[in-house]
Amino acid sequence: MKAMRLFPLELRRLLQSRLTWLMMALTVASPVLGLVLYKPADSTTMLSMYLANPALAGGAAGAILFGLLAIFELDRACRSRVDILTDAVVSPLTTALTRLLALLTAAVLTAGLTMLVWLPISAGLIGSVFTGADYVLAYLLLMGLALPLGVLAAAAAYQFTRRADLSIVLFIAFCALSLTVWVGDWQLCWLNPCVWALSDDFSNSRIFRSVAWMRLTWLSALAGVWTLSYLCIRQYGKGMLGSLARSARRIYRPAIALALLACSGAAYAAQPFIDRSNPDLTVMSFYEIPYAEGVTFVRRTAQVFPDTNAGTVTGRASYQFQNTSGQEQSISFGITPGYIISNVKANGTDVPFTVSGYQEYNEARLEVTIPAQEDVELTMEYSGFPQESLPTMQGGKELSSEYLCLENAALSPRVMNVLPGEAGYPAEIEITLPEAMIAIPFGSSRAEVIAENADGTRTWRYETNSAGGILYAGDYICEQIEAGGMTIEFYYGRKHQAVMEEAGAVDAVKAVVDYCTEHYGKLSYGAGDTLKLIQSRVAGGGYAANGASLLDEADFTIANLKDTSKGAVPGEIFIHELVHQWWGLGNMFDDSDGSPWSSEGLTVYTTYRIVKELYGADYAQKYYVDQWQQVVDDYYLNFYVRHPEYLEMLPEAERLNIAGSLSGVRRYNEMPLKILKAEQLVGGEEAMDQILHDLFNRELDPMYPYLTYQEFLDACHLTEEDLNLG
Amino acid sequence: MGKIFRYECRRLLWNKFFIGLAVVLLLYGALVLHAVTILGVAHTAPFSPWSFGDYLSRMLPLLWIGMLFFLTFYTSPKARRAAALTDAAPMPPRRYALARCAAALTGGALLSLLCMVEAAVFYVRMFGWCGWGSLLLPALATLLPALVFALGSGWLLGQIRPWLVYVWMAVPFLLAALPLPEALGLWNGSFFTACPLALETLDPAFVLPVAAAAAQAVLLAAGAALLAWGNRLRNITKK
Repeated sequence: MKAMRLFPLELRRLLQSRLTWLMMALTVASPVLGLVLYKPADSTTMLSMYLANPALAGGAAGAILFGLLAIFELDRACRSRVDILTDAVVSPLTTALTRLLALLTAAVLTAGLTMLVWLPISAGLIGSVFTGADYVLAYLLLMGLALPLGVLAAAAAYQFTRRADLSIVLFIAFCALSLTVWVGDWQLCWLNPCVWALSDDFSNSRIFRSVAWMRLTWLSALAGVWTLSYLCIRQYGKGMLGSLARSARRIYRPAIALALLACSGAAYAAQPFIDRSNPDLTVMSFYEIPYAEGVTFVRRTAQVFPDTNAGTVTGRASYQFQNTSGQEQSISFGITPGYIISNVKANGTDVPFTVSGYQEYNEARLEVTIPAQEDVELTMEYSGFPQESLPTMQGGKELSSEYLCLENAALSPRVMNVLPGEAGYPAEIEITLPEAMIAIPFGSSRAEVIAENADGTRTWRYETNSAGGILYAGDYICEQIEAGGMTIEFYYGRKHQAVMEEAGAVDAVKAVVDYCTEHYGKLSYGAGDTLKLIQSRVAGGGYAANGASLLDEADFTIANLKDTSKGAVPGEIFIHELVHQWWGLGNMFDDSDGSPWSSEGLTVYTTYRIVKELYGADYAQKYYVDQWQQVVDDYYLNFYVRHPEYLEMLPEAERLNIAGSLSGVRRYNEMPLKILKAEQLVGGEEAMDQILHDLFNRELDPMYPYLTYQEFLDACHLTEEDLNLG
Repeated sequence: MGKIFRYECRRLLWNKFFIGLAVVLLLYGALVLHAVTILGVAHTAPFSPWSFGDYLSRMLPLLWIGMLFFLTFYTSPKARRAAALTDAAPMPPRRYALARCAAALTGGALLSLLCMVEAAVFYVRMFGWCGWGSLLLPALATLLPALVFALGSGWLLGQIRPWLVYVWMAVPFLLAALPLPEALGLWNGSFFTACPLALETLDPAFVLPVAAAAAQAVLLAAGAALLAWGNRLRNITKK
């Protein structure tokens, strides 16, 4: 109670110190580091660049500053040699508690001040996709909670060592560990959470939950360590152990410390976010499971109930098999780690099942024994919080009232060792979603509303034919575009509407699809006369399948649409990204070797051709060919291009960084120029169009389906030397 | 006077602020070297005088702040109150002020040296390059006039109002944002990226155009003049 009486006095004293105000001011200013120097979130979404990075930088810098302030404040009495006097007036334990409370309050004030100062700046930088909820959560979790962690860690170090210099070294080493060795471990990097991207157009609840979990785990751990150090505060002239023995006489004190440490350990061990998939991605043992003998697949139905508040999924699945073996058979399913399977019945009778501890590619193996009956209906229930595989790229299993993506085993358990029946793998999926969400099966299937429920949800149903299946759902806008002889269903997030309108998205889609279909041919994955283009939450890439293709939201941010290396104006960047449907997804390229031949060369060239058709030759020459030429001229003059021996001398990280930057220049500028030169050498645009048409529609080698530079050169009857620009 | 100079040097350089400044400079220098200088400027090598000059130009705002920060030791209200005692010493105030300015300049020179040593270590570690003689001229041309001017102008402003020294710290950032003429390019670093391109040869040797050299000479002279003026102003104020 005495601590509470002293707290206002201590807080007032703390706030009268110039050093406190300096630390507060530096902390408030520190998010600027995230705009210029420290950018751990490497995605190009607006929220990653202008919210996550400043908040992360502010958190790291603020925690260090407040840690140093804590040590300085705790050492004040000792430094001034008045500790003997103050300890005689107030118990050092009370003083320590009061100072901690005052420092934590100052940290809270600073976090609030930072949020106020950066609110207009962030809103201005982020633009139309800014939301208050994302802003508050980002600053609270990525920055705000870092400050008490810094205070607790530094104060504990001081209370253990009772030496300012030593505790500063210990604290800085602890910070350095988080920033270096632990940087890839999402649970250990207490100072700088693993946040690689925040979505502009959809929710970020998953990544915020993960950061909150990590913060609370560390808060509990450091509070426990601080409590232990509190017990070690020197009293009655005793040393550390003597003071510990004395302070621990009140048993609730060590009990609190141990309880906090135990909570932290439990939270660390029982984290629900990341699975334990085999990190060796070359192992694919689930694909080697032998097919169940004499068992064929008849039908699957599933009713899926996502809880968009909790981020969990509950579902019931039913599988019909034909078992002609006359024996019991073991059927294997892939289930998403985090799901709990229950109530497994075959023809209404409970049957034994096991779930493997081994996980691979974000799946665990569920084995169920089905009876020796010819027609078997297997039913099961599943529920839980779907886990992810990549701790440094969390957010893929986002599940909220704005967005969800349930892929394969996350939608319903995926049959792994049953051969398809005559109809393949027919499936009927029902999913119940909040009213604002629309269900978009990834593929040619079409979902329909079959029930409007009293709780404000709607139940959707669609039929598909696969053992797995992917479903997207969200607060989407759908534009129907007639182009290239087919109907394009273009789905994008409602929050992205202003950006899409500014970029002339609908016109761009139409222009690209008309042009590319006419010149190169229809997309092979278009299902008949329709194609769904679905904007996905930031995921670091996309994919295409029968009747649908993904557009990663990171490719369509305001910042990316202003990247002049891809086109002169936002609409042209949009064209560029859509052309990747032909060169990138429709025709794949092996980009792994860093060679200048990649999907970008043909995509930039095609963008140039479309722009030339839309805006004229002069415009295309000025904003494309001339710019490529200028960049390529600079490239050939680059010191490392002229003296590659110096590039080889650099350490690997620096070398890869520079080589990557030079490779980007070659892919985006040199290769389009070479293709343009090839166009002139083969006889003009029409001849090049015919060559590209033939390449696009060539027969693919399933073992290596990539379009190579040699294939391009052969089709043009040219050699590499013919296309040299020097 | 030597004794006072040594005392002032110890006072300025042997304290946590100098160490803090040095640490910040080294960290920032490492960032600049690894993110910018390593690429080389204007198609030249990272260890060319041009790239080195660009590195120093980027470090200059911090060195400027450091130099002015040293001056706050002498111009703060607390130091002014203590001046009543030091002025009572038998040494002429002008010589006393000169010793102090020399100590501040030594501090600035030491910080500059630290930056240059860091760059030298970087060059050796990354490229095994150690032709440091070619870097002397860009270092002198960039740093000497700017630091002397910082000293002179900061000393004068500190004599007028102590807080003006803190305002003056923002000048390099203002200059970086201004489109300065070519002759003043050394003031914001644009000289090192623009001049080699204008020479139209690959890997040109370092040259300082007459206009730029004159601008730096004027800056140096102005710094010295302001320093003298500041000293005079101090004597007048005292009287």
